[in-house]
Amino acid sequence: MHESPIIDVGFKIDLSVVIMLIVTCAIVFILAKLSTRNLSVDNPSKLQNFMEWVVEFVQGLITSTMDYKKGRPFLSLGITLIMFIFVGNMLGLPFGLVFDYTNAASATFFGHPLTPVVEGLANGSHGVEVAWWKSPTADAAAAMGLALIVFVLVHYLGIVKNPKHYFAHYFKPFFFFFPINVIEQLSKLLTHGMRLFGNIFAGEVLIAVLLKMSAVWYGAIASVIGLVVWQGFSIFVGTIQAFVFTILAMVYISQSLETDEDH
Amino acid sequence: MHFVWSSFVFTIIAFLILYWLLNRYAFGPLFSVMEKRRELIKQQMDEAAQTRQQATQYVEEQKAALQQARKDAQDIIEQARQTSNSQTEQLLNQAKEESMRLKDEAARDIENEKNKAVAALRSEIGAVSVQIASKVLQKEVDANAQEQLVDNYLKDVGIRQ
Repeated sequence: MHESPIIDVGFKIDLSVVIMLIVTCAIVFILAKLSTRNLSVDNPSKLQNFMEWVVEFVQGLITSTMDYKKGRPFLSLGITLIMFIFVGNMLGLPFGLVFDYTNAASATFFGHPLTPVVEGLANGSHGVEVAWWKSPTADAAAAMGLALIVFVLVHYLGIVKNPKHYFAHYFKPFFFFFPINVIEQLSKLLTHGMRLFGNIFAGEVLIAVLLKMSAVWYGAIASVIGLVVWQGFSIFVGTIQAFVFTILAMVYISQSLETDEDH
Repeated sequence: MHFVWSSFVFTIIAFLILYWLLNRYAFGPLFSVMEKRRELIKQQMDEAAQTRQQATQYVEEQKAALQQARKDAQDIIEQARQTSNSQTEQLLNQAKEESMRLKDEAARDIENEKNKAVAALRSEIGAVSVQIASKVLQKEVDANAQEQLVDNYLKDVGIRQ
């Protein structure tokens, strides 16, 4: 597998994640800004129609999990989540930027050495391949960051809006279920982020593997066919994962807001 | 695979910034436009419903007015018929009365004339018979007594008749 371009400036920074986060945010923001540039009530542009479709889609997600009056404040969050994750998932698919470093001296970023390259070369590798372009969601830390935002929001809402139910539900159905309930909450956080990361990361690993296959010349045919199939499937997976992540966020929010006893 | 904590923090920061930017510059206006459209559609639908209701009401009113007009026409015709009937009757009665009156008048005239003629004849006959009698009998008879005599005679004749 490719290494990440990590530099150490007192703390470690994964440059590929930083770059991809910026790219993803920029694409999402530009898309949203373009589509809302000439807003019209009775004659919407194609992009405005598209963005309204996204809004209505997320509205559908919210109404399918909770009362829309309660879920209305989370509409923006849902749209941002689904667009950010979808765009992020798609970014790693069409191409990659991989540099093969054989010399530790050249593997620097504004004077900071790329630590995996330095370490790899020190361990006797001839060259270290560093991927600069990938899906941000194919990074465990990034995916977990998104999951943590939802996690914090859910628990904040539970404590502020619904404290009685929130604290009581840790001891349901019996008092000694407390540890299990705590684990359940933590596992929700972990599965929420890791599901996204795992799906996208696995997709990119397989793409990398298929690309490696093309090094052997008759493997190239299998590689091209495999890439066509797998890229298509990855688009599907990326879409589904964006959808799943968003609807799960809405489900968790609705659970923290609901007042009836059992769920 | 590495778990770089700074990526974790960067992702959260980036996402929150993106959320704020989108909310501030894109979604706010978009939502308000969608809301406006929703209201516009609702308003138009309300208007359509109202218009339809009005149309129905107008149709009802028109129907009622038509019914009323028809009824009025019927009434007028009926009234005209009645008037003409009564007028005919009246005219007929008048004509009958007139003819009756004329007939009565004529009968009365005839009676008068007859009586006059009879009276004239009677006096004539009286005088003539006196002359005849006086001539025949060569006898002076008091004209008054003679007249009395003839009257009595004629009365006797009238009774016998």
